[in-house]
This record gives sequence, C-alpha cells and structure tokens, in this order.
Amino acid sequence: MNKKNATTAPKESKVGNDKIYSFEKNKVIVTHFDKIYFPDEKVTKGDVVEYYISMADYILPYLKGRPESLLRNPNGIKEKGFFQKDAADDAPSFVHRKQVHSDSTNKEVHYIVCDNIETLVYLNNWGCIEINPWHSTVEALDKPDYLIIDIDPSDKNTFNQVIEVALTVKTILEKAGASCFCKTSGSSGMHIYVPAEKKYSYDQVKDFAYLVCMMVHDQLENITTLERNLQKRSKKHIYMDYLQNSRGQTIASVYSLRPKPGATVSTPLLWDEVRPGLSPKQFTIYNTLERVKKMGDIFKSVLGKGFDLGKCLGNLQSLSGKVASE
Amino acid sequence: MRPIWTGAIGFGLVNIPVKMYSATETSELDLDMLDKKDHARIKYLRVNEITGKEVPWSNIVKGYKLDNKYVVLEDKDFEAASAEKTNTIEISDFVKEEEVSSLYYETPYYLEPDKTGARPYKLLLEALKKTKKVGVSAFVMRNKEALAILRPDKNVIVLNKIRFEQEIRDPDQLALPNQIEVKPAELKMAVTLIKQLTGKFNISKYKDTYTDELLKLIHDKAKGKKIKAPQLKVVHSKAKDLMDQLKASLEVKQKKAS
Repeated sequence: MNKKNATTAPKESKVGNDKIYSFEKNKVIVTHFDKIYFPDEKVTKGDVVEYYISMADYILPYLKGRPESLLRNPNGIKEKGFFQKDAADDAPSFVHRKQVHSDSTNKEVHYIVCDNIETLVYLNNWGCIEINPWHSTVEALDKPDYLIIDIDPSDKNTFNQVIEVALTVKTILEKAGASCFCKTSGSSGMHIYVPAEKKYSYDQVKDFAYLVCMMVHDQLENITTLERNLQKRSKKHIYMDYLQNSRGQTIASVYSLRPKPGATVSTPLLWDEVRPGLSPKQFTIYNTLERVKKMGDIFKSVLGKGFDLGKCLGNLQSLSGKVASE
Repeated sequence: MRPIWTGAIGFGLVNIPVKMYSATETSELDLDMLDKKDHARIKYLRVNEITGKEVPWSNIVKGYKLDNKYVVLEDKDFEAASAEKTNTIEISDFVKEEEVSSLYYETPYYLEPDKTGARPYKLLLEALKKTKKVGVSAFVMRNKEALAILRPDKNVIVLNKIRFEQEIRDPDQLALPNQIEVKPAELKMAVTLIKQLTGKFNISKYKDTYTDELLKLIHDKAKGKKIKAPQLKVVHSKAKDLMDQLKASLEVKQKKAS
C-alpha cells in the first residue's frame, strides 16, 4: 500500500491468534485476528482492522473530539450487536474519554473519544465494526457540526425512490440556501448532511431539519412519511428521520463499515452520482480505499462553513408563501 | 475492571491463585481549581522555600527532621525498610467475624480465582460460609505489610484490609458516662422503641445525594439560567409555526448576545 503523508503504517507481530500493532507511541493488541465476522464474504476481524488502519487518515477527522456510541458485534454480523456507551475504566491511556451527564438516567457516562488511530483499532478489537460518533464535539457538546436527514426506506421501497427523496431534499435545501452533502447509509438508505458549524443548538437544528422534511413530504406525499412510531408507520413509505439531530444520537460515520451482508461502507457521493441505477451495495470494504484515493475526501465540507438559519428561514418562507398561493 | 494485585491465597497446603480487584469506587466529583478571572486551571509548583525558585523533581529528596537536622533518605533506604515482597495471602487463623470490631475495617477488595484456582476457591468460600468464620492474613501489598480478613460475601471472597492495633486511638480521653446507672423501666422503653424500628438492612435505601445534587446544579448552570422553554410539541405544529418558533429562537440568542 502506498500512502503519502499518511499515518506511518504500524509494525505488526503475530502471537498465536492475536496480532500486535506497534504504532509510533503505543501498542494495540487485536485478539482473535482470524475470527470470521462476515461469514458469506469470509471477511475476518483482522480484515476489519486492516480496513480501518488503511482508512484512518480519511475517517479520523470525522471522529476526533466526538464521544462514541459503541455498537459492538464481537461475534460478527450474524449475531445481533449491542450498544455500549460507558467505557471501561481500564482503557489504555491513549484512549481519551469524556464524562458526559446523561439527563435521561441522571448518571455520568464515560464516552470513548476516538482521537487517534490506536483508539480506532482498540474499538475494532472490541468488536466495533461500525463507528458511531456524536454529531457534536467535546468543545461544544450541545452545538452539532452538521444537520442530518436520514432517509430510511422500508423493505418495499426501491433505491430509485430513495434517490428521488434525496434529490428533493437537496432541492429544498438549495432553495433555502444551505449546501448539503450525501452518503450512502451503507445499508438501504441515504444520509444527507448540512454543515452547521457549531452555530445552533440541537433543538434549532432538529426543528430546521423537521421543517425541511415537512416540505419534502408535501412534495412526495405518496412515498414519504414523518411518522416516527414504527407501529403507525406505513410499511410502504420512506421514513425521513430528522430526530437524529439530538444530543447523544448517532448514526454510522462516513467511511464506516456496516455490519451488513456485503461488508458495505457508508460512502460519500457526489450529487452527480445520485442518479437512478445507483446501488448502495457497490460500495464495500474492498473498493472504498481505492475510491477515496482517486476522488479524495469529497465529504470534507461537512465540517466546513455552516448554514445561516435566519437567511434559510427567510428564503423558505417566501418559497412556501408561493407554494401556498398556487 | 483491572486487577490491582495478582498472587495466591495460601490455605494449609493449598494455594489458590487469585486476582484482586477494588470492590469500591468513589462517588465524588472531580473538581478542578480555577482562576476566578479567566478559568485557567491552577497548577502546583514545587518551590524552594528560601529562594522561591522552582525545584525540578530530580533535585527533590525526602528527609525526616531529627534534633533540628534533616536526615535525608534515599531510595535504597526505603527499600531496606520495606517488607519482603511475597505473592501469597497466607491465612494464619480463622476467627468469628463478630470478633473483629468494625473499627479495624478498611478498604474491601474482591478476589477472583484463576482458572486453576476455581475449585479450591469455591471450597474455601463454602467452608467459610458453613463455619461462619473469616480468615486472618498478613500479606505484602505495595511494599507494605498489610493485614486483612477474608470473608465470604454471597459468591465472592472479599479481602477486607484491616487496620493494625497501633492505628486505633484509645477512647479513654473522651468524657463517657460510665458511672451513670440506667433505670430498668427506661431501658425497657428504649428496647421497645428499637424493636419497633427494626427492619432488614437495605443499603439501597441510602444514597449519596450530595454528588447528584451538585451535578444537577452544575448542569443547570451550564445550560444557563434562562427559563426552560417548554418542550417543542412537534406533533401538531405546521411548517409555519415551526418557522416562527425557529425565528424566535434566533432572536432570543441575539438578545442574549447584545
């Protein structure tokens, strides 16, 4: 692998079923290196670790400073994983932690903050196939860096319908004057991100996302729903989830593997690529590094300049005024 | 949990390999000292009392004042005085637990058997329960002689460090009512009262609320003193209401800033 300016590749040594990675400063041990995680693809725990090491320079900027919700699949993808938030006390010193008060349980939770490649490997060793960072950083836990609209289809929807919804979201956001970026969820849906630059509270961002979703729903009433209750939600509609914009909520990070058949990756897309015929299954552990090397990190601007809520509201108001009078 | 000590329980001719874990954790908050003006963290400096200059660690030694002069101690002096390192918690006696006054109790630790120690560990645990006895042991922890009792607690053997006799003060300097006679009727009344209030000891009833209260206050403070806006009822709000609400939220922020 040729990696310019990249993190120096770690030295590796194998002891029995374990592999020890020696980074510049720290060693991280990966146990049961050859354990099968994706049985159909024969992808092992070791393959997952190698993927994240090779992608570290691209994924770490989206993890640094963010508390992690750990989704652990220590027995691979055929068994149901479990979420863990509180980190063990015995984590090595390179694993940074952030104490966060949970209002719901009134307890202190010690989140792992993935600030370095060692921690990434450490998380992988814990069975984290998927990486789930907060939308805000420890600098400002209550001010998200981006707004997210999670387009989550039912089994009955086609990916072409997902694309239709995504493009409608983009149209509305553009009319509002907010730039937006998208990625495959790595499963059957798509995620749209709007840079928010720690300017607004989660509530403000969530409300704005809700507003956008309502307007999209007005356009695509027959295929979308905003019903959050699974029982009440139609089985044939695409759910537009704006409630992800809450403190402590997480979704799979960009470039994160998903514990799904096919070893798919949540992959950023150029809007030009978002066209009927696109399949989210084509982006996997096998080709993501190659793609990102060729295209560069096309998701970068998500951490850049944020939208102006006041201006966006003004723009949307005039827009909805027009729609209403039509 | 990370073991803080590894070794073995010595019990007759049997050695039970075990790992020791802290059984307790503090429920206090970590507070940092800050400069009131700019909230910079306060840091300690070790300074020479005479020159006022900072002294690096490498130039710091420890000394004991004897006859107005300091006797300086070096690492090898400490080594010479410290206990010989062994890795065994040798049980010397078994005693009834109630014979050990709670005055002596210090920190509790959990002992966990290694794979090979599982069977004898369980045996010791059950035997302690059956005899209602605890084991007494002197062992070396962090280079210091330590005294402990080993007692069963449900399914785990707890090693409770206990204090040495010389660490307990004599209460004879307290003014205690040794001479006063207690009247039988009064005693009877007091006993009745105790019986009425007797229940099973339930630790869960008692909570360290100070830390929780303090934390709550910290979080309220962090959120600002603004009156909590009523939770947004998204269910019925139309797009327009939401827009108005969002605009209002921006105005609040501007007002606060100016």
